[in-house]
Amino acid sequence: MIEVKELTKIYGKKDAAFKALDNVSLVIENKSTVSIIGKSGSGKSTLMHIMSGLDEPTNGTVVIDDVDIFKMKEKKIDSFRSSEMSFVFQSFFVEANATCYQNVMLPLEIAKIGITKRKKMVMEALKAVDLQDKVNAKASTLSGGQKQRLAVARAIVNKPSILFADEPTGNLDSTNGDKIIDLLFGLNKSLGCTLIIVTHDPDIAKKTSMRISIKDGKIEGIEKGPK
Amino acid sequence: MQFTDIIKRSLRNLQSSKARTILTALAIAVGTFALTLTLGASNGAKEYANNIVKSNFDPTELIVSKDPNLFSSQDATKPQVYNPSFGSISTFGGETRQVQYLNSADLAKIATTPGVSSVQPAITVSLKYITRDGQKKYIGTLAPYNSYQKPDLLAGTIPDNIPDKTVILPQGFLSALGFSNAKAAIGQNIRLSVQNQTNQTPSSALINSLAALNSTSNASQETNFKIIAVSATPSTTISAATSLYLYTNLNQVELLNNYIYSGTSSYQKYLTAYAKVTDGTNLTKLNNAKSLVKAEGYSVQTVVDTEKLITQFIGVIEGIVTLFGLIAIIASLFGVVNTMYISVLQRTREIGLMKALGMHRRDVSRLFRIEAGLIGLLGGIIGSIIAVGLGVALNPVISNKLGLGNSRLLIFKPSQIIILIIVLIIVAIIAGLLPARKAAKLDPIEALRTE
Repeated sequence: MIEVKELTKIYGKKDAAFKALDNVSLVIENKSTVSIIGKSGSGKSTLMHIMSGLDEPTNGTVVIDDVDIFKMKEKKIDSFRSSEMSFVFQSFFVEANATCYQNVMLPLEIAKIGITKRKKMVMEALKAVDLQDKVNAKASTLSGGQKQRLAVARAIVNKPSILFADEPTGNLDSTNGDKIIDLLFGLNKSLGCTLIIVTHDPDIAKKTSMRISIKDGKIEGIEKGPK
Repeated sequence: MQFTDIIKRSLRNLQSSKARTILTALAIAVGTFALTLTLGASNGAKEYANNIVKSNFDPTELIVSKDPNLFSSQDATKPQVYNPSFGSISTFGGETRQVQYLNSADLAKIATTPGVSSVQPAITVSLKYITRDGQKKYIGTLAPYNSYQKPDLLAGTIPDNIPDKTVILPQGFLSALGFSNAKAAIGQNIRLSVQNQTNQTPSSALINSLAALNSTSNASQETNFKIIAVSATPSTTISAATSLYLYTNLNQVELLNNYIYSGTSSYQKYLTAYAKVTDGTNLTKLNNAKSLVKAEGYSVQTVVDTEKLITQFIGVIEGIVTLFGLIAIIASLFGVVNTMYISVLQRTREIGLMKALGMHRRDVSRLFRIEAGLIGLLGGIIGSIIAVGLGVALNPVISNKLGLGNSRLLIFKPSQIIILIIVLIIVAIIAGLLPARKAAKLDPIEALRTE
């Protein structure tokens, strides 16, 4: 369970201060699908970054499974993120000159997973996104949809308990976008991970079990229940 | 991240920007090339100097002089006060200097110094000429033979104690004296002639002791020497002239020397002498004896000191070239810094992703430091391979050009090259510290936002 308590984030100081999040509190159940929706600059990405420990709040706490992540030392948060969280970004962020295998291997290397286990885990992840035949292909040779599937494979290889997806379909056409969304929701079920999607697409939000609307850094509303 | 994973990732990153990596490594290679060649030349020169010293001096002996300035440089800009008891010599530059000579009393005194087993004056005899019946006369030098010399022999044998009136003939005189080959010379007599410096006939006792054949003039004597061995021209000599030295026992050389200088102020006076040290292979005993002889008021050098004197000049040249090599390496390290900064900028989003996925700052820093180190390694390998390759190819040409015989000017020691490369890796890692720090401190969110 992710408990966000009175989260405030202010960028800049004095006259230049900008409140990106303003006293945000919410609770996300394990294995749920959550969408954070709002316009550009509403604070949805900031919320995701703070929930994942990538950014620190000005005030407030994030408690994941009874652990306040901001009471951890930096190294411990890194390790926690490496073992429990994963990310899919709008811009894929795949290493163009590396093979699909090498791309998917990255989280395992960071988590110091033993070499003998790695191959099996990478192959399983690539199979889950239907890229098993591209194991040795360079990422630069893949299409946009394939690159995002590769990014998804990289995100799930470590079997994270929380999967953050920041505008995962933003750079894809609707056909590939739908495929990625289906893939993410499928993985939520098959892996049992919590899926948190940051999006401004209401169609994607409708598919999630919890919808958090953010406007000007404040929660505008939280809807629950499958649609 | 495990160390092996960091290495693999670094290698992949370097491979993905081949041109940049190779160009940066080549800059390091220039300095490495210069340093490897310097090390090789220094090794070669030192070994050559070592060979010269070892083949001309007995390492268990001390070289003793009475003159305090003989083994050190004297200020040639100041005039030297005349001393009637000193002898005169001419330096290589043609300048006249006065030096103190050792006499028989000095030799006796040195011989009684604890640790010294025997003393012999350092003498070579300038013969008036060498000849054989029906052959031309040639000028030559006769020197006492020392068993440590162990020359390569073309014919004959050298006994432990060389008998009087026998001589070891150098290969260079074979055909000049009409011998068809070395074997044919063994057992044959040659005539050595000496001239008294005063042009006065010395005492009959001295002449008798020489067993002189006949007087060719008032002050000149010829004496027969039987060839017992023919020595091959050595590949290493102090100068080309020593390859034509004839050798006999010390007694014979002293007799001829006495004949030449009889009636002069230089009679039985010597610039240097060799003091043999008991168990002289033991450096402590050698240095103890050196100190004791020194305490008697003499200037003393060991073979190591002599070698140092020769290698001093080599050291200066080595230092200058090393300095240039180091400057080249330092300049190239700025290239490493630049390359690594560019790499950090280019891979900002990759760094952001790695940090988002939980990579520790330390590992990010290590990744870039290792990349810098690998560039250093590559530069070191390229530079040293080219230097060694060039050195191996040019060695015979250089040796031939400089007349070094079988000696090589460039001697490469793998251990030195490995140390050089390790140093380069360390220095390149240090050069990569700032870019690595920048990478480690990158904010992952900002990094992921970078276009």
